[in-house]
Amino acid sequence: MSKKRKIISLAVWLGLVFASLIGVLLTNGLESHESIREIMRDAVLHESNKISLFGIMEVNPAVISAFTVTGILLLFALIVRIFVIPKFKLIPGKFQLLLEQLVQFFDGLAKSNSPHRNGFLGAYIFAAGVYIFVGTIFELFGLQAMTTHGFPMALPAPLSDINAAIALGCMSYIIILSGGIAGNGLKGVGQTLKDFSLPISMSFRLFGALLSGLLVTELVYYYTSLSFVLPVVVAVLFTLLHALIQTYVLTMLTSLFYGEVSEVHEPKPKKKKAAAKAN
Amino acid sequence: MGIPLNIDWQQILLHVFNFVILAGGLYFLLYSPVKKFMAKRDEHYRKMDSDANEKLASASALEKEAQARLDNVEDEIKAKRVKAEEELDKYSALQMQAANDKADKIIADAKKAADEERQTILSGADRDIIDMTKSLAAKMVHASTDAAFGQFLDIAERDAQNDK
Repeated sequence: MSKKRKIISLAVWLGLVFASLIGVLLTNGLESHESIREIMRDAVLHESNKISLFGIMEVNPAVISAFTVTGILLLFALIVRIFVIPKFKLIPGKFQLLLEQLVQFFDGLAKSNSPHRNGFLGAYIFAAGVYIFVGTIFELFGLQAMTTHGFPMALPAPLSDINAAIALGCMSYIIILSGGIAGNGLKGVGQTLKDFSLPISMSFRLFGALLSGLLVTELVYYYTSLSFVLPVVVAVLFTLLHALIQTYVLTMLTSLFYGEVSEVHEPKPKKKKAAAKAN
Repeated sequence: MGIPLNIDWQQILLHVFNFVILAGGLYFLLYSPVKKFMAKRDEHYRKMDSDANEKLASASALEKEAQARLDNVEDEIKAKRVKAEEELDKYSALQMQAANDKADKIIADAKKAADEERQTILSGADRDIIDMTKSLAAKMVHASTDAAFGQFLDIAERDAQNDK
Protein backbone atom coordinates (compact mmCIF):
# COMPACT_ATOMS: atom_id res chain seq x y z
CA MET A 1 0.00 0.00 0.00
CA SER A 2 1.38 3.42 -0.94
CA LYS A 3 1.88 6.16 1.64
CA LYS A 4 -0.86 8.30 0.14
CA ARG A 5 -3.42 5.48 0.38
CA LYS A 6 -2.43 4.82 3.96
CA ILE A 7 -3.05 8.46 4.88
CA ILE A 8 -6.46 8.41 3.11
CA SER A 9 -7.50 5.20 4.89
CA LEU A 10 -6.46 6.60 8.25
CA ALA A 11 -8.38 9.83 7.59
CA VAL A 12 -11.54 7.91 6.63
CA TRP A 13 -11.31 5.73 9.70
CA LEU A 14 -10.80 8.73 12.00
CA GLY A 15 -13.69 10.51 10.29
CA LEU A 16 -15.98 7.53 10.98
CA VAL A 17 -14.90 7.41 14.61
CA PHE A 18 -15.57 11.11 15.12
CA ALA A 19 -18.83 11.01 13.22
CA SER A 20 -20.12 8.17 15.37
CA LEU A 21 -18.94 9.93 18.52
CA ILE A 22 -20.68 13.15 17.53
CA GLY A 23 -23.80 11.15 16.69
CA VAL A 24 -23.73 9.55 20.12
CA LEU A 25 -23.39 12.94 21.84
CA LEU A 26 -26.04 14.64 19.73
CA THR A 27 -28.64 11.92 20.15
CA ASN A 28 -28.22 11.61 23.87
CA GLY A 29 -31.70 11.74 25.48
CA LEU A 30 -33.66 10.86 22.31
CA GLU A 31 -35.52 7.70 23.12
CA SER A 32 -38.60 5.89 21.88
CA HIS A 33 -42.04 6.54 23.30
CA GLU A 34 -42.33 2.80 23.95
CA SER A 35 -40.37 1.27 26.78
CA ILE A 36 -37.75 -1.35 26.07
CA ARG A 37 -39.90 -3.85 27.91
CA GLU A 38 -42.87 -3.21 25.61
CA ILE A 39 -40.71 -3.47 22.50
CA MET A 40 -39.11 -6.69 23.65
CA ARG A 41 -42.43 -8.20 24.62
CA ASP A 42 -43.96 -7.29 21.30
CA ALA A 43 -40.98 -8.64 19.43
CA VAL A 44 -41.43 -11.97 21.16
CA LEU A 45 -45.19 -12.28 21.34
CA HIS A 46 -46.54 -10.00 18.57
CA GLU A 47 -49.51 -9.21 20.76
CA SER A 48 -50.09 -5.55 20.10
CA ASN A 49 -48.97 -4.97 16.50
CA LYS A 50 -51.19 -6.75 14.03
CA ILE A 51 -51.48 -6.30 10.26
CA SER A 52 -54.58 -6.78 8.18
CA LEU A 53 -54.33 -9.63 5.64
CA PHE A 54 -56.23 -8.24 2.64
CA GLY A 55 -58.96 -7.11 5.05
CA ILE A 56 -59.89 -10.73 5.78
CA MET A 57 -58.26 -11.10 9.17
CA GLU A 58 -55.67 -9.60 11.45
CA VAL A 59 -52.39 -11.48 11.43
CA ASN A 60 -48.96 -11.19 12.98
CA PRO A 61 -46.49 -9.22 10.87
CA ALA A 62 -44.50 -12.42 10.32
CA VAL A 63 -47.36 -13.84 8.23
CA ILE A 64 -47.12 -10.88 5.89
CA SER A 65 -43.34 -11.34 5.84
CA ALA A 66 -43.80 -15.02 5.00
CA PHE A 67 -46.15 -14.28 2.10
CA THR A 68 -43.84 -11.55 0.86
CA VAL A 69 -40.81 -13.87 0.99
CA THR A 70 -42.77 -16.57 -0.82
CA GLY A 71 -43.87 -14.08 -3.48
CA ILE A 72 -40.32 -12.84 -4.01
CA LEU A 73 -38.90 -16.36 -4.17
CA LEU A 74 -41.54 -17.67 -6.56
CA LEU A 75 -41.15 -14.65 -8.83
CA PHE A 76 -37.39 -15.15 -8.84
CA ALA A 77 -37.82 -18.87 -9.55
CA LEU A 78 -40.24 -18.14 -12.39
CA ILE A 79 -37.86 -15.66 -14.01
CA VAL A 80 -35.00 -18.12 -13.67
CA ARG A 81 -37.13 -20.95 -15.08
CA ILE A 82 -38.21 -18.95 -18.13
CA PHE A 83 -35.10 -16.96 -18.95
CA VAL A 84 -32.11 -18.72 -17.42
CA ILE A 85 -32.62 -22.49 -17.23
CA PRO A 86 -33.34 -22.98 -20.98
CA LYS A 87 -29.97 -21.31 -21.66
CA PHE A 88 -27.99 -23.57 -19.35
CA LYS A 89 -24.66 -24.70 -20.82
CA LEU A 90 -22.53 -27.79 -20.30
CA ILE A 91 -19.76 -25.56 -18.98
CA PRO A 92 -21.68 -23.38 -16.52
CA GLY A 93 -21.42 -19.64 -16.10
CA LYS A 94 -21.31 -17.92 -12.71
CA PHE A 95 -25.06 -17.71 -12.10
CA GLN A 96 -25.69 -21.23 -13.39
CA LEU A 97 -22.92 -22.47 -11.13
CA LEU A 98 -24.54 -20.73 -8.15
CA LEU A 99 -27.91 -22.36 -8.86
CA GLU A 100 -26.32 -25.75 -9.42
CA GLN A 101 -24.31 -25.48 -6.22
CA LEU A 102 -27.44 -24.55 -4.30
CA VAL A 103 -29.40 -27.52 -5.61
CA GLN A 104 -26.43 -29.84 -5.29
CA PHE A 105 -25.80 -28.79 -1.69
CA PHE A 106 -29.28 -29.78 -0.51
CA ASP A 107 -29.44 -32.81 -2.78
CA GLY A 108 -26.06 -33.95 -1.48
CA LEU A 109 -27.16 -33.34 2.11
CA ALA A 110 -30.22 -35.52 1.54
CA LYS A 111 -28.20 -38.22 -0.21
CA SER A 112 -25.44 -38.36 2.37
CA ASN A 113 -27.83 -38.54 5.35
CA SER A 114 -30.45 -40.73 3.77
CA PRO A 115 -28.75 -42.72 1.00
CA HIS A 116 -31.61 -45.22 0.58
CA ARG A 117 -34.50 -42.74 0.18
CA ASN A 118 -33.88 -39.10 -0.63
CA GLY A 119 -35.86 -37.80 -3.63
CA PHE A 120 -38.63 -36.10 -1.68
CA LEU A 121 -36.34 -35.18 1.20
CA GLY A 122 -34.01 -33.26 -1.13
CA ALA A 123 -36.88 -31.20 -2.50
CA TYR A 124 -38.18 -30.47 1.00
CA ILE A 125 -34.91 -29.38 2.57
CA PHE A 126 -34.16 -27.29 -0.54
CA ALA A 127 -37.40 -25.36 -0.04
CA ALA A 128 -36.97 -25.16 3.75
CA GLY A 129 -33.35 -24.06 3.47
CA VAL A 130 -34.07 -21.37 0.92
CA TYR A 131 -37.07 -20.18 2.94
CA ILE A 132 -35.14 -19.93 6.21
CA PHE A 133 -32.16 -18.21 4.61
CA VAL A 134 -34.08 -15.70 2.53
CA GLY A 135 -36.65 -15.18 5.29
CA THR A 136 -33.91 -14.30 7.74
CA ILE A 137 -32.08 -12.03 5.31
CA PHE A 138 -35.43 -10.41 4.53
CA GLU A 139 -35.32 -8.71 7.93
CA LEU A 140 -32.33 -6.67 6.82
CA PHE A 141 -34.29 -4.88 4.11
CA GLY A 142 -36.66 -3.34 6.66
CA LEU A 143 -39.73 -3.33 4.43
CA GLN A 144 -42.43 -1.25 6.06
CA ALA A 145 -46.02 -2.27 6.72
CA MET A 146 -48.90 -0.46 8.41
CA THR A 147 -50.32 -1.97 11.59
CA THR A 148 -54.03 -2.03 12.31
CA HIS A 149 -53.42 0.79 14.77
CA GLY A 150 -52.02 2.90 11.98
CA PHE A 151 -48.35 2.76 12.95
CA PRO A 152 -45.69 1.83 10.44
CA MET A 153 -43.44 -1.04 11.36
CA ALA A 154 -40.55 -2.92 9.74
CA LEU A 155 -41.52 -6.42 8.71
CA PRO A 156 -39.64 -9.00 10.80
CA ALA A 157 -38.16 -12.31 9.70
CA PRO A 158 -41.02 -14.80 9.24
CA LEU A 159 -39.41 -17.31 11.57
CA SER A 160 -39.03 -14.83 14.41
CA ASP A 161 -42.73 -15.52 15.03
CA ILE A 162 -43.21 -18.64 17.08
CA ASN A 163 -46.16 -19.71 14.92
CA ALA A 164 -43.94 -19.85 11.83
CA ALA A 165 -41.26 -21.75 13.71
CA ILE A 166 -43.84 -24.24 15.02
CA ALA A 167 -45.25 -24.64 11.51
CA LEU A 168 -41.82 -25.41 10.03
CA GLY A 169 -40.81 -27.64 12.95
CA CYS A 170 -44.02 -29.66 12.74
CA MET A 171 -43.81 -29.92 8.96
CA SER A 172 -40.28 -31.23 9.26
CA TYR A 173 -41.50 -33.77 11.80
CA ILE A 174 -44.33 -34.85 9.50
CA ILE A 175 -41.84 -35.24 6.66
CA ILE A 176 -39.65 -37.39 8.90
CA LEU A 177 -42.72 -39.42 9.88
CA SER A 178 -43.63 -39.91 6.21
CA GLY A 179 -40.09 -41.15 5.56
CA GLY A 180 -40.49 -43.64 8.42
CA ILE A 181 -43.78 -44.91 7.01
CA ALA A 182 -42.41 -45.14 3.48
CA GLY A 183 -39.28 -46.96 4.62
CA ASN A 184 -40.47 -49.18 7.45
CA GLY A 185 -44.26 -48.98 7.63
CA LEU A 186 -45.63 -49.18 11.17
CA LYS A 187 -42.19 -49.80 12.58
CA GLY A 188 -41.12 -46.48 11.03
CA VAL A 189 -44.04 -44.74 12.72
CA GLY A 190 -42.87 -46.17 16.03
CA GLN A 191 -39.32 -45.05 15.40
CA THR A 192 -40.48 -41.53 14.59
CA LEU A 193 -42.89 -41.26 17.50
CA LYS A 194 -40.06 -42.34 19.79
CA ASP A 195 -38.54 -38.90 19.13
CA PHE A 196 -41.76 -37.10 20.01
CA SER A 197 -39.85 -34.11 21.38
CA LEU A 198 -38.37 -33.48 17.94
CA PRO A 199 -41.01 -31.04 16.62
CA ILE A 200 -40.85 -29.02 19.83
CA SER A 201 -37.07 -28.91 19.91
CA MET A 202 -36.86 -28.07 16.20
CA SER A 203 -39.48 -25.35 16.43
CA PHE A 204 -38.09 -23.70 19.53
CA ARG A 205 -34.49 -23.96 18.36
CA LEU A 206 -35.41 -22.13 15.19
CA PHE A 207 -37.56 -19.62 17.01
CA GLY A 208 -35.01 -19.02 19.76
CA ALA A 209 -32.10 -18.60 17.38
CA LEU A 210 -33.88 -16.13 15.16
CA LEU A 211 -35.53 -14.32 18.05
CA SER A 212 -32.25 -13.79 19.82
CA GLY A 213 -30.96 -11.97 16.75
CA LEU A 214 -34.12 -9.93 16.56
CA LEU A 215 -34.00 -9.02 20.24
CA VAL A 216 -30.40 -7.93 20.14
CA THR A 217 -31.11 -5.84 17.05
CA GLU A 218 -34.18 -4.32 18.69
CA LEU A 219 -32.12 -3.57 21.76
CA VAL A 220 -29.41 -1.91 19.74
CA TYR A 221 -31.89 0.15 17.74
CA TYR A 222 -33.85 1.14 20.84
CA TYR A 223 -30.98 3.22 22.09
CA THR A 224 -30.46 5.67 19.29
CA SER A 225 -27.01 6.40 20.58
CA LEU A 226 -26.03 2.86 19.65
CA SER A 227 -27.49 3.17 16.15
CA PHE A 228 -24.21 4.25 14.54
CA VAL A 229 -21.78 1.70 13.13
CA LEU A 230 -22.76 -0.93 15.70
CA PRO A 231 -25.94 -2.12 13.86
CA VAL A 232 -23.82 -3.05 10.88
CA VAL A 233 -21.83 -5.48 12.99
CA VAL A 234 -24.90 -6.69 14.86
CA ALA A 235 -26.91 -7.16 11.69
CA VAL A 236 -24.13 -9.19 10.12
CA LEU A 237 -23.59 -11.27 13.24
CA PHE A 238 -27.18 -11.94 14.16
CA THR A 239 -28.84 -12.00 10.80
CA LEU A 240 -26.43 -13.33 8.19
CA LEU A 241 -24.81 -15.87 10.46
CA HIS A 242 -28.13 -16.96 11.88
CA ALA A 243 -29.52 -17.28 8.41
CA LEU A 244 -26.70 -19.59 7.43
CA ILE A 245 -26.48 -21.53 10.65
CA GLN A 246 -30.21 -22.11 11.09
CA THR A 247 -30.60 -23.11 7.44
CA TYR A 248 -27.90 -25.70 7.89
CA VAL A 249 -29.12 -26.90 11.29
CA LEU A 250 -32.76 -27.47 10.35
CA THR A 251 -32.03 -29.08 7.00
CA MET A 252 -29.28 -31.20 8.51
CA LEU A 253 -31.44 -32.38 11.40
CA THR A 254 -34.40 -33.12 9.16
CA SER A 255 -32.32 -35.16 6.72
CA LEU A 256 -30.49 -36.94 9.54
CA PHE A 257 -33.67 -38.05 11.29
CA TYR A 258 -35.33 -38.84 7.96
CA GLY A 259 -32.42 -41.08 7.02
CA GLU A 260 -32.49 -42.76 10.43
CA VAL A 261 -36.19 -43.64 10.46
CA SER A 262 -36.49 -44.56 6.79
CA GLU A 263 -33.53 -46.94 6.78
CA VAL A 264 -34.73 -50.49 6.22
CA HIS A 265 -33.32 -52.83 8.87
CA GLU A 266 -32.77 -56.48 8.12
CA PRO A 267 -34.75 -58.68 10.56
CA LYS A 268 -32.48 -60.32 13.12
CA PRO A 269 -32.27 -64.12 12.85
CA LYS A 270 -34.05 -65.86 15.71
CA LYS A 271 -31.47 -67.53 17.95
CA LYS A 272 -33.68 -70.35 19.26
CA LYS A 273 -34.73 -71.54 15.86
CA ALA A 274 -31.22 -71.28 14.54
CA ALA A 275 -29.89 -73.28 17.48
CA ALA A 276 -32.61 -75.92 17.04
CA LYS A 277 -31.78 -76.26 13.39
CA ALA A 278 -28.11 -76.65 14.23
CA ASN A 279 -28.95 -79.47 16.65
CA MET B 1 -56.95 -18.57 21.77
CA GLY B 2 -55.58 -18.76 25.29
CA ILE B 3 -52.36 -20.63 24.38
CA PRO B 4 -49.24 -19.10 25.92
CA LEU B 5 -46.60 -17.31 23.84
CA ASN B 6 -49.35 -16.06 21.51
CA ILE B 7 -49.46 -19.38 19.70
CA ASP B 8 -52.34 -19.30 17.23
CA TRP B 9 -53.39 -22.38 15.25
CA GLN B 10 -54.85 -20.28 12.46
CA GLN B 11 -51.56 -18.49 11.99
CA ILE B 12 -49.64 -21.76 12.12
CA LEU B 13 -51.88 -23.06 9.35
CA LEU B 14 -51.34 -19.85 7.39
CA HIS B 15 -47.59 -20.43 7.62
CA VAL B 16 -48.06 -24.07 6.58
CA PHE B 17 -50.21 -22.96 3.63
CA ASN B 18 -47.57 -20.43 2.64
CA PHE B 19 -44.74 -22.93 2.91
CA VAL B 20 -46.56 -25.64 0.93
CA ILE B 21 -47.08 -23.17 -1.93
CA LEU B 22 -43.44 -22.12 -1.74
CA ALA B 23 -42.13 -25.68 -1.61
CA GLY B 24 -44.25 -26.80 -4.58
CA GLY B 25 -43.36 -23.75 -6.63
CA LEU B 26 -39.65 -24.02 -5.92
CA TYR B 27 -39.69 -27.72 -6.72
CA PHE B 28 -41.34 -27.30 -10.12
CA LEU B 29 -39.65 -24.06 -11.11
CA LEU B 30 -36.12 -24.45 -9.79
CA TYR B 31 -35.15 -27.68 -8.04
CA SER B 32 -36.45 -30.23 -10.53
CA PRO B 33 -35.30 -28.49 -13.78
CA VAL B 34 -31.83 -27.78 -12.40
CA LYS B 35 -31.51 -31.35 -11.13
CA LYS B 36 -32.70 -32.75 -14.45
CA PHE B 37 -30.17 -30.62 -16.32
CA MET B 38 -27.39 -31.77 -14.01
CA ALA B 39 -28.42 -35.42 -14.45
CA LYS B 40 -28.47 -34.93 -18.23
CA ARG B 41 -25.01 -33.40 -18.16
CA ASP B 42 -23.73 -36.21 -15.94
CA GLU B 43 -25.12 -38.71 -18.41
CA HIS B 44 -23.47 -36.83 -21.29
CA TYR B 45 -20.07 -36.87 -19.60
CA ARG B 46 -20.49 -40.49 -18.49
CA LYS B 47 -21.22 -41.45 -22.10
CA MET B 48 -18.22 -39.48 -23.29
CA ASP B 49 -16.11 -41.23 -20.70
CA SER B 50 -17.34 -44.69 -21.64
CA ASP B 51 -16.83 -43.92 -25.34
CA ALA B 52 -13.31 -42.74 -24.64
CA ASN B 53 -12.63 -45.86 -22.56
CA GLU B 54 -13.96 -48.06 -25.35
CA LYS B 55 -11.76 -46.30 -27.89
CA LEU B 56 -8.81 -46.56 -25.55
CA ALA B 57 -9.40 -50.28 -25.09
CA SER B 58 -9.76 -50.74 -28.84
CA ALA B 59 -6.57 -48.74 -29.48
CA SER B 60 -4.76 -50.76 -26.85
CA ALA B 61 -5.88 -54.03 -28.45
CA LEU B 62 -4.79 -52.75 -31.86
CA GLU B 63 -1.45 -51.72 -30.43
CA LYS B 64 -0.97 -55.17 -28.93
CA GLU B 65 -1.94 -56.77 -32.19
CA ALA B 66 0.48 -54.54 -34.09
CA GLN B 67 3.23 -55.30 -31.61
CA ALA B 68 2.58 -59.01 -31.97
CA ARG B 69 2.67 -58.64 -35.73
CA LEU B 70 5.93 -56.74 -35.53
CA ASP B 71 7.36 -59.44 -33.34
CA ASN B 72 6.37 -62.16 -35.86
CA VAL B 73 7.02 -60.16 -38.99
CA GLU B 74 10.31 -61.95 -39.89
CA ASP B 75 8.74 -65.37 -39.62
CA GLU B 76 5.71 -64.13 -41.44
CA ILE B 77 7.82 -62.70 -44.26
CA LYS B 78 9.75 -65.96 -44.53
CA ALA B 79 6.57 -67.99 -44.58
CA LYS B 80 5.06 -65.68 -47.13
CA ARG B 81 8.18 -65.91 -49.31
CA VAL B 82 8.09 -69.70 -49.21
CA LYS B 83 4.42 -69.61 -49.97
CA ALA B 84 4.98 -67.17 -52.80
CA GLU B 85 7.75 -69.34 -54.27
CA GLU B 86 5.53 -72.37 -54.04
CA GLU B 87 2.76 -70.50 -55.74
CA LEU B 88 5.17 -69.25 -58.39
CA ASP B 89 6.42 -72.80 -59.06
CA LYS B 90 2.89 -74.04 -59.25
CA TYR B 91 1.99 -71.23 -61.60
CA SER B 92 4.99 -71.77 -63.87
CA ALA B 93 4.28 -75.51 -63.93
CA LEU B 94 0.74 -74.77 -64.90
CA GLN B 95 1.96 -72.36 -67.57
CA MET B 96 4.37 -74.97 -68.92
CA GLN B 97 1.66 -77.55 -68.92
CA ALA B 98 -0.64 -75.18 -70.75
CA ALA B 99 2.11 -74.37 -73.31
CA ASN B 100 2.84 -78.05 -73.84
CA ASP B 101 -0.82 -78.81 -74.25
CA LYS B 102 -1.14 -75.95 -76.67
CA ALA B 103 1.91 -77.13 -78.65
CA ASP B 104 0.59 -80.69 -78.73
CA LYS B 105 -2.71 -79.42 -79.90
CA ILE B 106 -1.10 -77.33 -82.64
CA ILE B 107 0.97 -80.30 -83.80
CA ALA B 108 -2.04 -82.59 -83.72
CA ASP B 109 -4.11 -80.05 -85.62
CA ALA B 110 -1.34 -79.60 -88.16
CA LYS B 111 -1.02 -83.34 -88.58
CA LYS B 112 -4.70 -83.68 -88.96
CA ALA B 113 -4.78 -80.89 -91.53
CA ALA B 114 -1.87 -82.40 -93.42
CA ASP B 115 -3.55 -85.81 -93.42
CA GLU B 116 -6.75 -84.29 -94.66
CA GLU B 117 -4.82 -82.38 -97.30
CA ARG B 118 -3.00 -85.51 -98.41
CA GLN B 119 -6.23 -87.42 -98.44
CA THR B 120 -7.83 -84.75 -100.53
CA ILE B 121 -4.84 -84.67 -102.87
CA LEU B 122 -4.76 -88.45 -103.09
CA SER B 123 -8.45 -88.71 -103.81
CA GLY B 124 -8.02 -85.96 -106.45
CA ALA B 125 -5.09 -87.85 -107.97
CA ASP B 126 -7.07 -91.12 -108.07
CA ARG B 127 -9.88 -89.39 -109.89
CA ASP B 128 -7.39 -87.87 -112.35
CA ILE B 129 -5.74 -91.25 -112.88
CA ILE B 130 -9.11 -92.89 -113.54
CA ASP B 131 -10.02 -90.12 -115.92
CA MET B 132 -6.66 -90.34 -117.64
CA THR B 133 -6.93 -94.16 -117.82
CA LYS B 134 -10.40 -93.88 -119.16
CA SER B 135 -9.30 -91.36 -121.69
CA LEU B 136 -6.25 -93.42 -122.58
CA ALA B 137 -8.35 -96.58 -122.88
CA ALA B 138 -10.81 -94.75 -124.98
CA LYS B 139 -8.05 -93.37 -127.13
CA MET B 140 -6.47 -96.74 -127.33
CA VAL B 141 -9.76 -98.35 -128.23
CA HIS B 142 -10.47 -95.68 -130.73
CA ALA B 143 -6.99 -95.93 -132.24
CA SER B 144 -7.10 -99.73 -132.43
CA THR B 145 -10.57 -99.68 -133.97
CA ASP B 146 -9.47 -97.14 -136.53
CA ALA B 147 -6.36 -99.18 -137.35
CA ALA B 148 -8.29 -102.46 -137.52
CA PHE B 149 -10.93 -100.83 -139.71
CA GLY B 150 -8.16 -99.43 -141.98
CA GLN B 151 -6.45 -102.74 -141.97
CA PHE B 152 -9.75 -104.44 -142.73
CA LEU B 153 -10.36 -101.98 -145.50
CA ASP B 154 -6.83 -102.58 -146.80
CA ILE B 155 -7.30 -106.28 -146.60
CA ALA B 156 -10.68 -106.03 -148.19
CA GLU B 157 -9.31 -103.83 -150.96
CA ARG B 158 -6.43 -106.10 -151.40
CA ASP B 159 -8.75 -109.12 -151.54
CA ALA B 160 -10.92 -107.29 -153.96
CA GLN B 161 -8.02 -106.55 -156.13
CA ASN B 162 -6.85 -110.09 -155.82
CA ASP B 163 -10.24 -111.30 -156.85
CA LYS B 164 -10.12 -109.19 -159.77
